[in-house]
Amino acid sequence: MSSGPYNYNYIFKYIIIGDMGVGKSCLLHQFTEKKFMANCPHTIGVEFGTRIIEVADKKIKLQIWDTAGQERFRAVTRSYYRGAAGALMVYDITRRSTYNHLSSWLTDTRNLTNPNTVIFLIGNKSDLESTREVTYEEAKQFADENGLMFAEASAMNGQNVEEAFLETARKIYQNIQEGRLDLNASESGVQHRPSQPGRTSLTSDTPNNKDQCSC
Amino acid sequence: MEELLSEVVPQQDLEKFEKKYHQELDQQSVSHRTQFEYAWCLVRSSYAPDIQKGILLLEDLMTRDADGKRDYIYYLAIGNARIKQYSLAMKFCKAFLQIEPNNQQVISLEQYVKDKLEKESLKGIAVAGGAALALGGLIGLGIALAKNRKTANKD
Repeated sequence: MSSGPYNYNYIFKYIIIGDMGVGKSCLLHQFTEKKFMANCPHTIGVEFGTRIIEVADKKIKLQIWDTAGQERFRAVTRSYYRGAAGALMVYDITRRSTYNHLSSWLTDTRNLTNPNTVIFLIGNKSDLESTREVTYEEAKQFADENGLMFAEASAMNGQNVEEAFLETARKIYQNIQEGRLDLNASESGVQHRPSQPGRTSLTSDTPNNKDQCSC
Repeated sequence: MEELLSEVVPQQDLEKFEKKYHQELDQQSVSHRTQFEYAWCLVRSSYAPDIQKGILLLEDLMTRDADGKRDYIYYLAIGNARIKQYSLAMKFCKAFLQIEPNNQQVISLEQYVKDKLEKESLKGIAVAGGAALALGGLIGLGIALAKNRKTANKD
């Protein structure tokens, strides 16, 4: 990568998980492209997306790993959980089975991430009210009991999509401010990019240089 | 795309799926899934020989399991792109897009590979151009030397 100035202060790693067909890739696409991707095929393995957002005047680069929901990918996609600062756990409000499987997704997340990983539960397809199978209230209760953030969203019309990604970032940022995250540990899922060195310095614009400090 | 092609499988995962594969290999009954899981980890290794091995395992799966073809072609494209075999990667992207022309994952990979191939061919032209210049220089030098000798002979 270039050694030029970073245009962000932090990198947060996210994962998106949940049963197949709940709309994980469509949520990611809506968030990064602000468009709805119709007839989205099943993801193969993992997909990657990125976007720079702003929280408390700090620029944060979100690196988002969107995992395939099909069972045959599940064993290997677990390796993407490690070091996630945020996890978006998605179900489909029109398919109860995808809601029933949440506890298994949650177990994986808890086992494979760190205790400070922020988990945001998303009930997707909120635009399909007429075929709803999971009520808002029961999902909210599940989220509260398990200490998860929660919103219903629609990758189709964009409702609450932005909010889910941003609120997760705000919570992670709050954890950093309160000293709950060790930024030096890779499993925190957060990398800090020191804000920009002066142009006069020829040697200090690579992040590695700070390791050469003899103090 | 850069991130997808540079992320590296955690060593412990590679070892885990390698072990599972070898256990099944010992019993002479390797399931498609086990072979795919191992191959998927291998093509995400930072060592080219691992990636090559992953590619071989995926090619073998292609001949044995029609159901998973989509996954195998995609990871054959990824594996080849990771070891900079861009022409091969391109071939697999094209094969995939013939079946699923609108697949965004493969369209972005194809675009990336296309850019790399174009850059390589530009580099090729630059190298050829450089060689021509060097050759021209040599000939020029030869002529100059010959002239020098002539003038020297006159003296």
